[in-house]
Amino acid sequence: MQQTGSGRTLVDSRGSSCPGPITDLALAYRRSKRGDVIELWATDPGVKPDLQAWASKTRNEIVSIDDQGDKIVAVLKIVNR
Amino acid sequence: MAEQVLIVGGGDGGTILANSLDRRRFDVTVLAASLAHTFQRGFLDVALRGRRPRLVRDEGRLVGSHVRLVHDRATAIDLNAGVVATAGGARLEYDHLVIATGMTTDPSQIPGLTEVNARFGDYHTDIAQAKKLWAHLDTFNGGTIALGQSSPICKCPPSPVEGILLIDELLRAHGTRERTRLVFFTPYPRPYPAEGINDVVAPILEQRGVEVLPFFDVDKIDPEASTITSIEGDELHYDLPVVIPPFVGADIAYEPGDVVDEGRFVITDKESLRVKGSDTAFAIGDASNLPTSKAGVGAHLQAKVVAKTLAGKRATFDGRTNCSLDVGHGRATYVIGSYQAPVARAAPNRLKYVMEWLLGRFFWMSLKGTIDPVFDIYFKVTEPKAPKRQQ
Ligand SMILES: Cc1cc2nc3c(=O)[nH]c(=O)nc-3n(C[C@H](O)[C@H](O)[C@H](O)COP(=O)(O)OP(=O)(O)OC[C@H]3O[C@@H](n4cnc5c(N)ncnc54)[C@H](O)[C@@H]3O)c2cc1C
Repeated sequence: MQQTGSGRTLVDSRGSSCPGPITDLALAYRRSKRGDVIELWATDPGVKPDLQAWASKTRNEIVSIDDQGDKIVAVLKIVNR
Repeated sequence: MAEQVLIVGGGDGGTILANSLDRRRFDVTVLAASLAHTFQRGFLDVALRGRRPRLVRDEGRLVGSHVRLVHDRATAIDLNAGVVATAGGARLEYDHLVIATGMTTDPSQIPGLTEVNARFGDYHTDIAQAKKLWAHLDTFNGGTIALGQSSPICKCPPSPVEGILLIDELLRAHGTRERTRLVFFTPYPRPYPAEGINDVVAPILEQRGVEVLPFFDVDKIDPEASTITSIEGDELHYDLPVVIPPFVGADIAYEPGDVVDEGRFVITDKESLRVKGSDTAFAIGDASNLPTSKAGVGAHLQAKVVAKTLAGKRATFDGRTNCSLDVGHGRATYVIGSYQAPVARAAPNRLKYVMEWLLGRFFWMSLKGTIDPVFDIYFKVTEPKAPKRQQ
């Protein structure tokens, strides 16, 4: 996890299968505050439904989910913390 | 002249590495804050089964005679200067440094947890805490038991699910299961984060009558009201809380300071295991920020990768995990995956339980390296296949 400028965090979860990218997201969410943007990189295709479920449960926003072939890039906005 | 290898931390990873290095080529020093080496998996037996196995051995008997064991705690590591400072005032220099300082529980991260943890114990800290939890479970006479991890990083990811299933088994044996509501909370979308294993454990939890609260990321605990509140805004009442505390890396001042993250985990290349920006330092085991399970098996395999690299061979860590998951009633399964292979579905059975028990019996030998050939065969036979395909 790294800070890339104010309020934007890059979470590189590529290759993580166990416990998986959702672990890294949960950690970033814990450390976030309202208005922050989290950019998550993952290779596990299961991350998409997980992100949707996460966003609807936590009432945060998915700005985009982009399948770039070698990785999936999701941009999430924390609006509920 | 022999090259100086300094290993900080004499736990599972540090010990295996020390014993894997060629004694003719390296001068090996292990700097160990504690000489009481503990088989941590045994905390489950103490806390949830009331057993009293012998879980501690003297580190001096586990490392080979070629290893210089220094009983002291690292307080500062200057990667630029190549020096490790200790609490006892020593300054140790090295040619190669390996950080193997593990991680420890830190209840102070959650408001209310320090008090709850001191009163009820837990099964991830030490034997005293495990005994405390057992005392509460053994005398529990009905009500709500709430069990879960209070932060996304957990030592041995299967251990929360194992905990609730073993408590279910215990209460059935005590005849108190019918009077007990068992609630399993988790920050993840489902009981086990990796789907292959979740497919196996979710039906078992349901069949045993365990209520699951997904997306329950602990925010605070109110010891007076006996409630746990999540960041997502849900509230849970308990009679007996079994809360796995958050974990942190060792309290060491690093230079440069940006080689550790907010949780004090060392930022490590996921294949070479080198510490960010360093040619001479590696990190293995729970101390690193690798995107893989915090487990002894990872520490073991990573120690072998570093040993090979130092011996001048080409070696990379493939993210291999291999954690046993005891589902109670004498059955177990294994969580096996790697950077390339997602965790496979594997049904629990008796054979895997026996294997898990055997691996526990051989734990001390595995640290000494005496049964390495057996492990090599085991890891080969169980190698996860099915390369992950992008879609
Ligand atoms: C309940 C439970 C169940 C588990 N089940 C399994 C399982 O089934 N399979 C599995 O593979 N793993 C399991 N584990 C996890 C396993 O025990 C750990 O992942 C493993 O011990 C990690 O090894 P390590 O060398 O990284 O750290 P550790 O073994 O924890 O060793 C770290 C060492 O560093 C020392 N240290 C810390 N700070 C300093 C300092 N500043 N200076 C010097 N020394 C220092 C400590 O004293 C310690 O000896 C389980 C753990 C628990 C708690």
